[in-house]
Amino acid sequence: MTTILILTGIGCLLGALIILAGKVLPPESRDLKRVERIAELLPGMNCGACSYSGCFAYAQALVKNPKTLLDNPCMVLLQDTEKLKLVEASLGLTVNVTMMERKACIHCGGGSEDICQWAGTDTCKGVAQRHKGYKRCPFGCLGLGDCIMACPQNAIYMNSEKGVAVVDWEKCNGCGLCVAECPQKLIQLVPANTKVALLCTYASIKNIPGREKCDVGCTHCKKCVRACEHDAITWNSKRLTPIFDHNKCTLCLKCVEACPQNTLIACVKEKVLVTD
Amino acid sequence: MNELISIFIGMALVNNFVLSRFLGLCPFFGVSKKLDNALSMGIAVTLVMFLASVVTWFIYHHILVPFNVEYMKIIIYIVVIASLVQIVEMAIKRTNVTLYNALGIYLPLITTNCAVLGITLINTQEDFSLIQSMVSALGGGIGFLFVLVIMSGIRERLELSDVPKSMKGLPIAFITAMLLSLTFFGFGGMV
Repeated sequence: MTTILILTGIGCLLGALIILAGKVLPPESRDLKRVERIAELLPGMNCGACSYSGCFAYAQALVKNPKTLLDNPCMVLLQDTEKLKLVEASLGLTVNVTMMERKACIHCGGGSEDICQWAGTDTCKGVAQRHKGYKRCPFGCLGLGDCIMACPQNAIYMNSEKGVAVVDWEKCNGCGLCVAECPQKLIQLVPANTKVALLCTYASIKNIPGREKCDVGCTHCKKCVRACEHDAITWNSKRLTPIFDHNKCTLCLKCVEACPQNTLIACVKEKVLVTD
Repeated sequence: MNELISIFIGMALVNNFVLSRFLGLCPFFGVSKKLDNALSMGIAVTLVMFLASVVTWFIYHHILVPFNVEYMKIIIYIVVIASLVQIVEMAIKRTNVTLYNALGIYLPLITTNCAVLGITLINTQEDFSLIQSMVSALGGGIGFLFVLVIMSGIRERLELSDVPKSMKGLPIAFITAMLLSLTFFGFGGMV
């Protein structure tokens, strides 16, 4: 008899405690409900292409700063007009979908020589985890094609001559799935109206002069800035890279001609990737 | 003090929950694929273990023993742990959303984690005082976290390694767990 009473008593006590906790604790913040509502509208695949850890984290970022949707849009959401409208309504801003179009760009031109033979796993991630790769440039494309495996559009192919992956902009729909795949962090989503791109990433790291590491690396010579007649190129002295203003660019290709390392390439929409 | 240290080390390393007591094996294999998840799970388990030990100590010594119903301890402990997890989840959800999101599904999953029930029963069985059971719960939780983190680190690398096709995935994880368990036998003489 006592057993039954004690068990019932403890059960009731704990039940009361839970109810009490529900009353005493501060109510769920309004933001959380908004975040949950937006997270429901997001694709929910947690692909990580937006560089957040998942759709929930992205929804949190959206609630915190609605402009995130413009700067760093969810590519899957942009294709779903119905849900996009709902998200826009709850964030209070509108998105111009055509302006948001993005393409993947791999910021490496290849050309760094192999300094050792690699005979282990044939994935970029495996190589990058154990060593800094087998190329002279520790930041370059490893050319084992993790991004190719990730691309649902088959838009990435391997330039076997240079050992570097290249994106076919005609096929690329800017989903961004490849961005998270690259262990070297070479892939970036750039606006689809990008006219000239810098195919080098270690430019931002000061102590590695390009010409020692590879034939096509940026040497920070700033010739492109001087060559531009339309003030479309400015120099980012913090990252030591040129910045392109694609609205001012007339695609005269003077900067591409001026680049002594051929690091700059012209991306023209009609003809996908034109080097030189 | 020495006794507390030996209880802590005994719980964390010598009688490690996963590798020598073989408790809490489901999260050990289920949640050890990614380092971040393993860390969240380990922290959540440590937290719940600690709270459960404190609460069950009071219930055992102030309710079960006076009324002479010690044999009911298993069922009461289960009820206590389940409701405790409920309250903790509610508290975290309303105070720290980021932490709640990081722990995610693992917090409610702990309700059925045998390592948590295990620590409360072991504390009762060893007749620990309140301080001793707190230390042993912390030791057990940190030992669990430790092993989970080691395992997930190894498994993250295994994923990228050239494993024979028939061994890929869980089989090689079992072999890894076996080797880890053998390593932990090395702590055997410590306490």
